[in-house]
Amino acid sequence: MTDDCLDGNGMAGLLAEATGAELTSAIRHCQSCGNEYAIGNHRAYRGAGVVLRCPGCAALAATIVERDDELLIAWHGVLRVPRPAAA
Amino acid sequence: MPPVSRGFLGRRRDAADAARLPPGQYLVEDFPVLTAGPTPHSPLDEWSLTIHGAVDEPKSWTWEEFRALETETFTVDIHCVTKWSKLGTTWTGVPLDALLEEIGTEADYLTAWSDGGYTTNLAVEDVSDGRAWIVHTFEGEPLEVEHGGPARLLVPALYLWKSAKWVRGLSFTEEDEPGFWEAAGYHNHGDPWREQRYWSD
Amino acid sequence: MRETIEETAHARTLALDVPGWPGHRAGQHLDVRLTAEDGYQAERSYSIASAPELDAVELTVELVDDGEVSPYLIEEVIPGDVIEVRGPVGGHFTWSVDDGRVLLIGGGSGLVPLMAMLRHRAARASTVEARLLASARSEPDALYRREIETLRPQEGLAVDWTYTRATPAGWKGFARRVDAEMLAAVGPGPSAGARVFVCGPTPFVESVSDLLVDAGYDPASIHAERFGPTGG
Repeated sequence: MTDDCLDGNGMAGLLAEATGAELTSAIRHCQSCGNEYAIGNHRAYRGAGVVLRCPGCAALAATIVERDDELLIAWHGVLRVPRPAAA
Repeated sequence: MPPVSRGFLGRRRDAADAARLPPGQYLVEDFPVLTAGPTPHSPLDEWSLTIHGAVDEPKSWTWEEFRALETETFTVDIHCVTKWSKLGTTWTGVPLDALLEEIGTEADYLTAWSDGGYTTNLAVEDVSDGRAWIVHTFEGEPLEVEHGGPARLLVPALYLWKSAKWVRGLSFTEEDEPGFWEAAGYHNHGDPWREQRYWSD
Repeated sequence: MRETIEETAHARTLALDVPGWPGHRAGQHLDVRLTAEDGYQAERSYSIASAPELDAVELTVELVDDGEVSPYLIEEVIPGDVIEVRGPVGGHFTWSVDDGRVLLIGGGSGLVPLMAMLRHRAARASTVEARLLASARSEPDALYRREIETLRPQEGLAVDWTYTRATPAGWKGFARRVDAEMLAAVGPGPSAGARVFVCGPTPFVESVSDLLVDAGYDPASIHAERFGPTGG
């Protein structure tokens, strides 16, 4: 394995900064394979920016580009975020 | 400005090389590995390079055919948008001019695409007249897979995300179509000397 | 930086006093950012090793050869230095004694967040069932070895080590990579309904997760955390 691969848990700080929410325990429904995995269990890569991919099918889940003054975030698939009352 | 970490040197500029570093870049001696996805491991007997899209005649090369093409060996500085630069890297590969001659195109743009689905867009003028190669050898050795082997695009005048690793095809287009990072927030052109890192830089 | 503790030849624990620390849950991370005088920055995310009940925040950092951040944290930092941190972060890979029985499987420095969970269990004097399978190359590479031997309460706690390269003289425990037979011996088995936490290098986590699923563990019960070569 030479993949520079971490997982979504390691991106928790960035995701929290990006969205103001703890997202690693949110579930993402994959637009490609239809399976559901916690964001923390997604594969994470560092290229020019951060990439999250589905652990089941490697489809693109998110890209995060870190500028000095803003984060540029693209999400794919559907996020299931528990509401506080239901937690 | 966050507090300076006492004794943390980071990646210091060597004064002698400073003139070769574009703004905001830091010198590295190692060769950092960055990737937007899993590293593909395609066997060479299944490898091909295809040029298609808005061209007179689409064309495809097997690995053997590609390796039989005339090559150039050249030394360039490379610059990654994540702020590292590596000076004096020596590569061997096929100049894109030679491939363009074979297919004939009036298109102004192209998308390079790779094993694993990565794409990046380029203007034809940025990859012609000796500005781009498809390289298969780094410092005299076969290009390692983590650096894009068996073959990658190399466009040293632009940030390195434009130099698609594991390149498998060039699709010529009439319109400029943003690639993977260009659609996600990185600059469409990516000239390190003009520090074109992000959208609207 | 309050103090540093040598753990092994390649790992060091940093105890930090973090002003305004909101408290954390066992398994969460802390992001560390270093800034050089010329403005260059490098950031890494580390698992918190200490129990939420402790008043300091402890990180255990393993040296990454040719790394950028870990050599600084292991060889350069001294008590009194100020380090910029962000956290605690993360929520998927967390456990508290209120979540019930747990199976923890760690490879190398993947033991760090699992140690936070076991320290938390000890601090709460909980007897909730906890099983730990820890994989290390050899005894000198094993993190927290002596502390784990003395963890309390012993009731409900089961610890197994496996050494993949070299074993101590007279060693009667496991001496191989984690396999299906080892997981079956460690238990508690898929029907126990335990939460499972697997942490280590990516190949270790992939392999163990596959073995667990093959053994019948519910994929939804398995929480995985991977360490990759990140440039350290």
